[in-house]
Amino acid sequence: MLKQIMQIDRRIIFILVALAVIIPTLLKVSFPITISEPTRKLYDYIEDLPSGSTVLIAFDYGPSSMAELQPMGTAFLRHCFQKKIRVIGMTLVTEGATLGYETMQEAAKTTGAIDGVDYVYLGFRPGTIQVMLGMGTTINNIFESDYKEKPLAEIPMMEGIKNYDQIDLILDLASSSTTEAWITYINTRYNQKIAAGVTGVIISQMYPYLQTEQLIGLMSGLLGAAEYETLIETPAKATKRMSVQSFVHLLVFGLVILGNVAFFIQKRENENV
Amino acid sequence: MRRQVPLALCFVFGVVMVLIEFSPHPYSKFLYNEVINWSLIITPFALVLGVATLVQTHWIRIRRRAEYWQYSFVVFIGMIVMVTIGIPFGPSHKAFAWLFKYIQTPMDATMFSLLAFFIASASYRAFRARTLEATLLLVAALIVMIGNAPIGDLIWNKIMPFGENLPSTARQWILENPNLSSRRGVILGVSLGVISQSIRIILGIERSYLGGGD
Repeated sequence: MLKQIMQIDRRIIFILVALAVIIPTLLKVSFPITISEPTRKLYDYIEDLPSGSTVLIAFDYGPSSMAELQPMGTAFLRHCFQKKIRVIGMTLVTEGATLGYETMQEAAKTTGAIDGVDYVYLGFRPGTIQVMLGMGTTINNIFESDYKEKPLAEIPMMEGIKNYDQIDLILDLASSSTTEAWITYINTRYNQKIAAGVTGVIISQMYPYLQTEQLIGLMSGLLGAAEYETLIETPAKATKRMSVQSFVHLLVFGLVILGNVAFFIQKRENENV
Repeated sequence: MRRQVPLALCFVFGVVMVLIEFSPHPYSKFLYNEVINWSLIITPFALVLGVATLVQTHWIRIRRRAEYWQYSFVVFIGMIVMVTIGIPFGPSHKAFAWLFKYIQTPMDATMFSLLAFFIASASYRAFRARTLEATLLLVAALIVMIGNAPIGDLIWNKIMPFGENLPSTARQWILENPNLSSRRGVILGVSLGVISQSIRIILGIERSYLGGGD
């Protein structure tokens, strides 16, 4: 019996994971979300900004991480648009160009934000650090036109926005090391306020920067997105997906406990023999 | 000359860029902006190099009939289709966006989603409290995992009369204390390593970036 538990066929585990995903999706269960301090700090910062402020959001991720990061982007953009805060979107990752555009369009549609007036999407430019540093001199020098090839000089929202001096916050939605580059090069050199929304796997890397306030706020994985949705009182994709994540986490938790209980019983039996 | 010139350029630019950091003079700002502009111009060439290497690798695979060489045709078809639409019409064109949204995005997301199944299976098999270190790691991982899901707090609050939302509080404590301390150590170590390696490159002691051996 113990041996069978220890050597359970991995296909059975795959089926259990599939069920843990499918059942909560069909039942549409939801759980109360506890708000963490780093997410609240970001929310409070946006709440305290006066309308007409400008934030820059960098969609530095590809399709593999969009399940976690896209809901963060949508929730954050909704909050900004509701508060009449202007948003500049861009990406340092090739695949992020289309994803960022879609996210901005989706948030704009639900809040009535107008392209060129309430938000501008600049798209992608190659050269991560050079792009960051170049924007510190003039944004226009790096992005001469927006994603739809409209010159920045003809976009009303960009009037008076030259570089980071006119930007109140940069939010980096990242699945790799771009947040650390934003902190190292832009926070340090330009004293620019930076916040981040990152995937669950890299969240542990961000805490030293949070303590030193080089990051003013942080959304951690899908949970961070669900927390932000709760804060703006608009439960959406992340809140729904959190129920699925909850069941899968619970399943893995149970499997690890079961595996270890079986391991210890077998170990004791072997010692007695 | 083939080695001396790059070494000299590396030394001059390395030293100048370090000095610029400490000088607020307008000339130094001008020079800084110029160097940023130059590097912005140089960067896209890396993309060209990447594409050339990709083509070369897959062309060789097809010519040599290496294992699964047929898939290299898929790489070429995908690249040709995206480039044919992307270059003349731009990435905001409907056709390009459609290909990205309905082909690339689902494929990429699917590959990543498979991880959930393998992680569940691997954690069941390999995550064992064999030693003290492994036990500490296991306990921390379980707390962070259950604290990362709202169901953890819900179950705890239902069955325990004390410590409201303890799983998420414990998760936050682990991230903000033991995790933060160890990460800071790693960051400091890496930073010192980067500084020493940079000095070696600027002074021409470290030359492996030039390629072709010493």
